[in-house]
Amino acid sequence: MFDQEFVAIVGPSGCGKSTILNMIGGLVAPSAGAIELDGRPVAGTPPGVGYVFQKDTVFPWRTVARNIGLGLEYRGVAEAERERRVREAVRLAGLEGFEEAFPATLSGGMRQRVALLRTLVVDPEILLMDEPFGALDTHTKIGLHAELLNLWEARHQTVVFVTHDLSEAITLADRIVVMTRRPGRVKLVHAVGLPRPRDVIKLRESEAYGREYGQLWHVLGEEFA
Amino acid sequence: MSERARVLAWRLAILVVLVGAWEWLTAIKAVSKTPGLYWIDPFFVSRPSAIVRRFAYLASDQVRLSIWAMALSTVQSTLWGFLVGVSTGFAAGLALGRNDRLARIFEPYIIAFNSLPRIALVPLITMIFGFGLLAKIVLAWSIVFFIVFFNTFQGARSVDPDLIHSARFLGANDRQIMSTVIVPSALAWTFASLTPSISFALIGVVVGEFLGGESGGGLGYLIIQSLGTLNAADMMVALLTLGVIGIVMALGIKQVEARLLRWRPEYRSRP
Repeated sequence: MFDQEFVAIVGPSGCGKSTILNMIGGLVAPSAGAIELDGRPVAGTPPGVGYVFQKDTVFPWRTVARNIGLGLEYRGVAEAERERRVREAVRLAGLEGFEEAFPATLSGGMRQRVALLRTLVVDPEILLMDEPFGALDTHTKIGLHAELLNLWEARHQTVVFVTHDLSEAITLADRIVVMTRRPGRVKLVHAVGLPRPRDVIKLRESEAYGREYGQLWHVLGEEFA
Repeated sequence: MSERARVLAWRLAILVVLVGAWEWLTAIKAVSKTPGLYWIDPFFVSRPSAIVRRFAYLASDQVRLSIWAMALSTVQSTLWGFLVGVSTGFAAGLALGRNDRLARIFEPYIIAFNSLPRIALVPLITMIFGFGLLAKIVLAWSIVFFIVFFNTFQGARSVDPDLIHSARFLGANDRQIMSTVIVPSALAWTFASLTPSISFALIGVVVGEFLGGESGGGLGYLIIQSLGTLNAADMMVALLTLGVIGIVMALGIKQVEARLLRWRPEYRSRP
């Protein structure tokens, strides 16, 4: 994997997509081989790595603002500075007016947006995302794709994005890793030939997108057969 | 009439009927002119009017130990036992809930001590701590501790590991994970144990007062004294006062709970 690259991993469920993320994140040790970050093997949770879970991991007992500020709080960032950065993040995500709301009052899409912001506000170099939009409806999902791409264009973090949704992978990624059925192996690494910046709506109507989708669907389809 | 008013009206009606029946049935004779043969004998259950009279007397300064002093003593012992029990139970539950080895080591002792009926300890506790406040606090503590302990223990064990992971990825150290993830998660469980805890603390204190004699004061003493003098009215005064104390304390805890757990959807609609 390269620096500043957006890689998506797709494959049938149970093929170990999430396990790869967990290994990079130091949550599980690899059974064979090694994971290295900047040439050093991963042991424990590496610094500078952000992780957005599939499940809702927003802390229900904290307001939106205090959730977003969590990472800054952990790092001992002074309160004034913390407030400033949280306010900026809230504005970026269009969550104004919800700062003092508790997560239970928000929709699934908004909660996941809070989780994403909470991860980004501490400026990770590497972003691991495990089907972060898997539980959302298509409409909300596409909105969040646009937002994620916007945020990514600004910082160019290295992203590993796990999904089972091929169109999501094509929309977002530079390269797509297709995995085989259980036991999961890498079947194909495909470079997405779509220019950036991408418009998530128009993109889907383009011919190039259709070509990419057709090719990859064919390869992925073999795994479902 | 709104639903709320209708419910209130029914409640009031039931109260009036019950109190009225109590007053009336303890006044009429079952067999005319035969002394003592009432429908319900006021010797055993007293009468509302008699209870009110006794209450007024006990609340006045004509008595050496007023009902207020006794109620205060009971409330004091209960709150102390509750506070000490909750804080130690919470700390122990947290410690054992997050440390499997510690939990395995202490498990048989905790189960053994908890299966012992606490009432059986009253004489021993009295022997060690005397008749005063301390004995009652210890007794209340011995009950409250376990209720809070078991709940917090469960709560600390059932913290969502993904919340801990996400805190870790956000840069939290062990102490921060404890204070921002485990404690708030477990607190939701601990709170569920607070209402029963205060009731049990009150039970512990009253049982302690049964044995404590006059030096301990308290409403339990009034009950035992009334038994000695076969005074049903005084006993009813003590019981009703205890009932009011129990209700007020439980409501107070509900208020604190609703405030601290306001992030939970089930508390959202309430003020």
